[in-house]
Amino acid sequence: MSYRKPAAMAAAVLALAAMAGCAGEKKEAKSQKVIGVSVLTLANPFFKVMADSMQAEGKKRGYEVIVTSGELDPSRQKDQVSDFIVKKVNAIVLCPCNSTSIGTSIQEANKADIPVFTADIQCLAKNAKVVSHIATDNYSGGKLAGEAMVEALKGKGKVAIIDHPEIESVMLRTKGFREVLAKHKGMSIVSSVPGGALRDTSYKATQDVLEKHPDLDGLFCINDPTALGALAAMEKAGRTGRIKVISFDGQPEAKEAVRSGKIYAEPVQFPDRIGAKTIESIAAYFAGKRVYGEELIPTELYRKADADKDPSLKKP
Amino acid sequence: MTQSPETRAAGRRSAAAQLANAYGMLAVLALLCAFFALATYHDENPTGAAAGTALAADLKGRTGVIIVQSQDSEGEAFARSLEEALTKAGTPARGTLSGDPPTVRAALERVAAAEPLGVVATTRSCADWTLFEALKSEGGAYAGLEVVTPRTVRGSTFLSSSNLRNIADQISVIAIMAVGMTLVIITGGIDLSVGSLLAFGSVTAAWMIAHMGGVAAGPGALIVASLATILLCGLVGSVNGAMVTLFKVPPFISSLAMMQVTSGLAFIVSGGLSIFDIPKSFVWLGRGADLGGIPNAVALMALIYVAAHIVMSQTRIGRNIYALGGNFEAARLSGISTRKVLMLVYSISGIMAGVGGVITTSQLRAGSATYGAMYELYVIAAVVVGGASLSGGEGRIFGTLIGALIIGVIRNGMNLMDVEPYLQKVVLGLVILGAVLLDMLKRRRWSKAGA
Repeated sequence: MSYRKPAAMAAAVLALAAMAGCAGEKKEAKSQKVIGVSVLTLANPFFKVMADSMQAEGKKRGYEVIVTSGELDPSRQKDQVSDFIVKKVNAIVLCPCNSTSIGTSIQEANKADIPVFTADIQCLAKNAKVVSHIATDNYSGGKLAGEAMVEALKGKGKVAIIDHPEIESVMLRTKGFREVLAKHKGMSIVSSVPGGALRDTSYKATQDVLEKHPDLDGLFCINDPTALGALAAMEKAGRTGRIKVISFDGQPEAKEAVRSGKIYAEPVQFPDRIGAKTIESIAAYFAGKRVYGEELIPTELYRKADADKDPSLKKP
Repeated sequence: MTQSPETRAAGRRSAAAQLANAYGMLAVLALLCAFFALATYHDENPTGAAAGTALAADLKGRTGVIIVQSQDSEGEAFARSLEEALTKAGTPARGTLSGDPPTVRAALERVAAAEPLGVVATTRSCADWTLFEALKSEGGAYAGLEVVTPRTVRGSTFLSSSNLRNIADQISVIAIMAVGMTLVIITGGIDLSVGSLLAFGSVTAAWMIAHMGGVAAGPGALIVASLATILLCGLVGSVNGAMVTLFKVPPFISSLAMMQVTSGLAFIVSGGLSIFDIPKSFVWLGRGADLGGIPNAVALMALIYVAAHIVMSQTRIGRNIYALGGNFEAARLSGISTRKVLMLVYSISGIMAGVGGVITTSQLRAGSATYGAMYELYVIAAVVVGGASLSGGEGRIFGTLIGALIIGVIRNGMNLMDVEPYLQKVVLGLVILGAVLLDMLKRRRWSKAGA
């Protein structure tokens, strides 16, 4: 009797594995060309959209695109890359969970002569060869945000930044933003506080800013979670009317806030275009064309007029 | 005193049950391996020297062959052996090209300018480049272009030696931490702090190395930093032990608190950034393979398992740990120093997390406070799947290794089969659930047998 239960367990495990296997085997076509992708986290819709568009674009060009996610864990991502190398995929696309730790994995891929591309997040490790990096043009996006702020305040007012200077892409955004504001005499940046790029931490940071600057006119939030946290703080403090908010990203909830006028405008990123461009670069590379070491995807300013026409938003 | 026939029979029965249990898990592992071996059985594209010679035989009599080689060691071996074989056959190759696709395309264009292209011999990874089709469609000097590759052979990706090494390498950190966790769980406790402690250990080791010469640090500094880190993590573990023994704090709460403390400390030490002033020689532990191709981290894992097995099965300390988990009161009354035993197991758990931290730092050549997230759960899962009971008193070291292997094999196999990441989570969760259910069934049967 005691033998049966482990056997039952074995059967259950196999059934599960078979179930999982069916999902995999359907896709297996003969000598299909394969691209392995490991994104930062699939919990963030940005990467989900990007991965989906990679799969769609890959299909068009005859590549099977396998999507995995490091879920913010650098060593899990390392395992995923080593599995890709064992599978002998044709190319690897990474959104590194850690810009320096990823170096050793990329070196392994280099050793196996599998070309590596990065999307959205750059690899900063030395001696790791990346063919091309495809990302949002954060610098010009920051400039767009600055222009939107000038427009919102009609060239005159005090502005604060809810910042997250630990990340290079954010540094580029604020750099562009500051450059535009510096050109306008009436505009001044009175404060820049770290908001952690998250909703809850930005909520608290904004509370502090509101407390300190009762005459604040504008708020630049470096991404959508930051802006949504800041809006909550403004609502709680009863300061929603006067302060104009500029965000950065283009997630649905923030677009909704643009439509209702809570956010004045925001440069939106295009994760789908980043995904498609990445696959395009890989195809061009394999066709023997020279690809640039960096491809920047421009942002576009998204205002209330755009939100009113946006079919992706639900009707109020 | 002589044993009654009933007791002896009961003893035999439980021994049989234990054996069946151990082999049951082994059987699960074997079945999983067989399944993934079959599921990943497919046409493989050979490369390396043998493939080069074989392709030369296929190309008998063809002249003007251009070889395109990939830039890995096997690709080089392929090109070299193909060149030699073709020369021997009296039809030497027209040339060998290597480089990235744009370089090879430019080189082919140069070659074609002199004489139209014929056969291009290469391995699969390069043959997949679309540049050949693109050139051929241009016609002219490229019209005769024909790409040939070595014939495919049937083989299983899962069973390839590089993948088996891969699995062992991938589980090594979790499996090492699971040794400490097994001891803790046998005493009826739990240690939730190991994941954060791994991050803390990683950051501490990297920080010390960065302050003892950075990229120029010598082997002495690396050893000192590693050992100091492991000791420090052991010390943190002993804080857990002290909370559990001196203040009777439930292990769940005490280790939950330490999980927060160590994670916070890791972020403070690193300032939230990764520390990468680490010499190249430090990757020896995590990425080197000195013992006949066995990764060093795997060798260390094997060493730790053998040592732990001996301690748990042959020594008084091992017996005391089991006794304490089986019946705490009885163990105390029989004169076992329960405090010492508990302090010891939590310290060992900390030490193992420290070892995991050092290995991870070595593998990734950088220390970061973000490592090890959720590892406590994987480690506990490995121990439980390996047959240890969360109510204490039961569990075997090699059972844990099998548990870690089962989880590692499922994860690797699903990756090789391109199972969606979301579904992977579901499958892993169900496997853990299955193992716990098995534990419960076992318990109910025994309590019935006892009644």
